[in-house]
Amino acid sequence: SGELYCSLPNPRNVHFESVNMKNVLHWSAPEGTGDGVLYKVKYLVYGVGKWIRKPECKNINRTWCDLSSETSDYEEQYYASVKAFLNGMCSDWIETTRFNPLTDTKIDPPMVSVSSTEKSISIILTAPENWKRGPEGESVSLLQVYPGLQYNVSVLNKKTKKRWWFSVSNNTLVVPHLEPGTAYCVSAQIYVTTPLLHSGFSKEYCIATLKDKTA
Amino acid sequence: LTAGNKIFRFGACRVSVSATEIRSGFTAIKSNIQARDPIRTLSILSYPHSLHKVKSSDRCCVAHHLFNFYVDRVFKHCKTEDSYVNRKISSIANSFLSVKRKLGQCHEQNKCTCGQESTEKFKQILANYEGLNVTSAAIKSLGELDILLDWM
Repeated sequence: SGELYCSLPNPRNVHFESVNMKNVLHWSAPEGTGDGVLYKVKYLVYGVGKWIRKPECKNINRTWCDLSSETSDYEEQYYASVKAFLNGMCSDWIETTRFNPLTDTKIDPPMVSVSSTEKSISIILTAPENWKRGPEGESVSLLQVYPGLQYNVSVLNKKTKKRWWFSVSNNTLVVPHLEPGTAYCVSAQIYVTTPLLHSGFSKEYCIATLKDKTA
Repeated sequence: LTAGNKIFRFGACRVSVSATEIRSGFTAIKSNIQARDPIRTLSILSYPHSLHKVKSSDRCCVAHHLFNFYVDRVFKHCKTEDSYVNRKISSIANSFLSVKRKLGQCHEQNKCTCGQESTEKFKQILANYEGLNVTSAAIKSLGELDILLDWM
């Protein structure tokens, strides 16, 4: 029956890499195999009865497979599995650990835009866009996924090196009582309390307050 | 409200839960515990329907049943050969015990009424649990703690 003889070494380090809920399965080639190895991928919704093949990742020679669409329901958890083929031989199916998109995704820093007056800075924060099916696909904002989402904001006076910290839930912040004609640098991080998740800090966005016209 | 505690609202019932402590305790042992559960195609909490399908009016009753379930039927059957894992499990169990008591008080004060749907949902959870031998069922339930925490 053409049964393949499964003695090929197994794919290694089969795991999900997830950023902003874009969930991509990654693995390393079996030890000691050069070029020519092909792979198949399947996935399963935890608690649901069957493994499902991913046709777009059948007989591929790359070592990743985008399963964002298949794992987009972040109220579910998932397993994925990879099998390798070479010269009529195959490996075992090698699984990931249980993947929970809600807790296992990494969140990018927010986008920061700043404007200034003589004595204040206005900061607008934008959470990164969640993965979506395609350009026209419906986008689910991180705020919907994580209702407890907050922003930690750092504001640095470049002259005095004095730094302030703010924690805000909405996406705008006005910092008053600043010195005219002074440079300030702003950096921000996303912070979620349930489940416990936080992004890195954004790069610094610097702006100068306007000069005091009366001076 | 101690640091790391969070107030959870289940209808008229408000419960302070050491959510951060529970969550970090579970995260520390999650892959160890889930690796002991080889059954992919059955979930105790999510089969056949996700907890997220529970109506808001039934949340308190389901939470009340679930915290009783974990204290009375899960943690005590989760002894492992790993003392670190066991310590984490007992720390989580202690946190669950205090939440169980608070939900129990809400239940006694009629703030946590049980409708037919919540009773049905919990019956299904028990049926899923009793479909396995007790140790497998307890380990699987413990491995699904994040499903409960995410739902809360």
